[in-house]
Amino acid sequence: MGEPAAITGLGCVSGLGWSVREFAARLFAGTVAIGPFDLFDAARHRTRLGSQVPGAAGVRPSPWHSRVDGFALHAARVAWSAADLDACFAPTRTGVFFGTSTAGMFETEAFYRGLTAHTPRLRVRPVASQQSNAPGDTIARAFGIRGPVVSVSTACVSGAQALLEALDAIRSGEVDVAIAGGADGLCELTYAGFNALRAVDAAPCVPYRSGRQGLSLGEGAGVVVLESREHAERRGAPDAGWLCGAGSTCDAHHVAAPEPSGEGAARAIRAALQDAAIAPDAIAFVNVHGTGTPHNDAAEARALHAVFGRAVATLPITSTKSLVGHLLGAAGALEAIATLLCLGAGRVHPTAGPGAADPELGVDLVLGAARSVAGRHALSTNLAFGGANTALVFGSAAS
Amino acid sequence: MSRFAAELCISGCGTIGPFGVGMAALRTALAAGIPLARPIEKGSGWHRSGGSGSAALVPAVDLKAMVPPAAARRMSTSSLWAVAAAKLALADAGVDVTRLQETALTVDLANVFGPSRYTELLLQQVLHGDPQLASPFLFTDCVANAPAGQIAIALGARGSNTTWCERECGQVLALLAAARPARDAAPRRALCGVVDEMPEVVHAILDRLNALVAAATAGGEVPRPYGRTRAGFLAGEGATVLLLEPRSLARRPLARVVAGGRAFDPSAHPIGWGSGHVELAGAIAADLAQAGVAPGSIGAVVASASGSVGGDALEARVLRELFDAALPPVLVPKGVVGEFGGGVLASALLALEGAQFARPVGCDDGDPELGLRVHDGTVRAERVLVTTFAAGGAAAWVVLEAGPGASKS
Repeated sequence: MGEPAAITGLGCVSGLGWSVREFAARLFAGTVAIGPFDLFDAARHRTRLGSQVPGAAGVRPSPWHSRVDGFALHAARVAWSAADLDACFAPTRTGVFFGTSTAGMFETEAFYRGLTAHTPRLRVRPVASQQSNAPGDTIARAFGIRGPVVSVSTACVSGAQALLEALDAIRSGEVDVAIAGGADGLCELTYAGFNALRAVDAAPCVPYRSGRQGLSLGEGAGVVVLESREHAERRGAPDAGWLCGAGSTCDAHHVAAPEPSGEGAARAIRAALQDAAIAPDAIAFVNVHGTGTPHNDAAEARALHAVFGRAVATLPITSTKSLVGHLLGAAGALEAIATLLCLGAGRVHPTAGPGAADPELGVDLVLGAARSVAGRHALSTNLAFGGANTALVFGSAAS
Repeated sequence: MSRFAAELCISGCGTIGPFGVGMAALRTALAAGIPLARPIEKGSGWHRSGGSGSAALVPAVDLKAMVPPAAARRMSTSSLWAVAAAKLALADAGVDVTRLQETALTVDLANVFGPSRYTELLLQQVLHGDPQLASPFLFTDCVANAPAGQIAIALGARGSNTTWCERECGQVLALLAAARPARDAAPRRALCGVVDEMPEVVHAILDRLNALVAAATAGGEVPRPYGRTRAGFLAGEGATVLLLEPRSLARRPLARVVAGGRAFDPSAHPIGWGSGHVELAGAIAADLAQAGVAPGSIGAVVASASGSVGGDALEARVLRELFDAALPPVLVPKGVVGEFGGGVLASALLALEGAQFARPVGCDDGDPELGLRVHDGTVRAERVLVTTFAAGGAAAWVVLEAGPGASKS
């Protein structure tokens, strides 16, 4: 158990747009941003849909950077502005904690085509952003940060792990302020890879439904500004909520498939609740990983049953991926923002798509329209390749 | 909250690199001081004319004793080396693997390029073939965290599992994470380290970025860390994994983390180093002071100097700023084992145990502007500072203190 960290700024980019306001409005309206896209020729692939960030041409900060760097930097600037930190910026007391899984792979694919075609005067600069440290480092250089800057790439829990790392750094006193989040972009490698696993739904994904056939891929970034309680209170910081606790485990079961019983995910949830020092019945709703693959949703539902017992039947759950697709290394960060917006509004956004919840999963899936909830805490879960699981407990501004 | 768990100690190390398998092979290589360069495949014609033609490549090694063929055939090169290095670390520590799951086990593993051979194979299939025929098997083991996941599967490591990607700093970040207190305060073991592989395509990209010492360099393709004529690094590959255990479980406590930290130099270029040596030295000095580690108590520095023009210059300036005239022996293992793959962490343990560190070939002619001479001879230090400075701006360092299990040969 440890002290919660104040969340004082939010920023995001996704298929739903470039501002938190847009994201929130469309989130609660249940707007689906999954559809045809033109970043690359999807006609070559088994499925054709995705959630592409609109109007992203020119988002690369420089020829040395990727689209994903641009997403990350934009979201960080929005979050920083919302936190109103310019007047008390202390470079050595501020850190960046960031997650990604593909980073600049889209640009690397273009480079690789040129390399294999022996294109004369091929520019190598775009490949500099291929590595997973690029988005976080880009933010740190742009902001002039001198504190810790760390990047994690633990597949689909990367963004959530980045928030966990930020929480630890604040608790240990290493930093007062943390810019934490994740960013990822569409690219052919992951698009073909998930299709090769037959893990992509040809239609927009329908998490936790009986007929679910897989995920939809998306792209974007989510960034939160975290501060120690003392730092936030001293300066009268904006109050967007609290990161109260975190848990991280591994299934040690399979490199791609979740452990069917959800035991590893359940341990992560219990660890997060223990870390936040709250009981399961204090959770008002869960923003689930909810990819829409048969195996993920089943294992995750079993984890929820293991932790919450019979209360799962009336515990609202929702999947942000039904609206913006799976943002991979950014998913945990964007879903953290969705969770905080829901907590702040006292409403849980709907899980989009047709059909009723899969009765075999035995969960209370929020469908159709946003649902009002009471309560001051919510849980966000993520599961990843390699068997990694994370759970984050958030508190509302009033908590 | 303390940054490091006082009860945890490093009790085992597994390493695979251009020197072969195990600490003894590394010890022999460092004592010889000869760069372990081997010709790299250049058949695709992707390198610059006159560019680098060699890398510190892992030779053919038999890892069947650590990873059975039935499991190895399902792994990328990175995963195979990572799992083998983890098992070597457990064996080095004398851990009974059948009882491993009695205590929580976490994994923190770093890499720079990920399982890049698999990634390139998949790119070939997707971009030049029919993407609908792409291999799912390549996809699942080409993600950056696949090696860490494979370690977890092989050993039943059900604690947190994190993959760190901060270029040259990743391995120290992984160690710092492994050494911190458990979130739930329960006893645990931790595996941490780094793995990287150096296929032709990655080597060619580094060559095109002018990062590598080139074949056409005067004096030959030798990396020359801190050297006057240094012109780039020797790309390397391999894996190093350390085991950390509670002191009560460790048969041979080799070392413990007594200080360490992370900082950033925002003046850096996305693929280069900046001018922030004063601030970086200040960050290290503040960390040492907070930990109660006097700079004078540090018996050796295991540097990340690789022959890189900008990186070596930044590090030398940081070390001079930090130690002034009292600079302890500075060791540059990358002059032998190349950049990437974990030679730094394993070398730090050897410096605590006592080992011969011959000044690597090419390092005799030191850069007078850096004012730093690479050590040549035996080192046996009670405390070792490991410094890493990544292209792009990140920095991470750690101070290891010898435990009673460090042999004093």
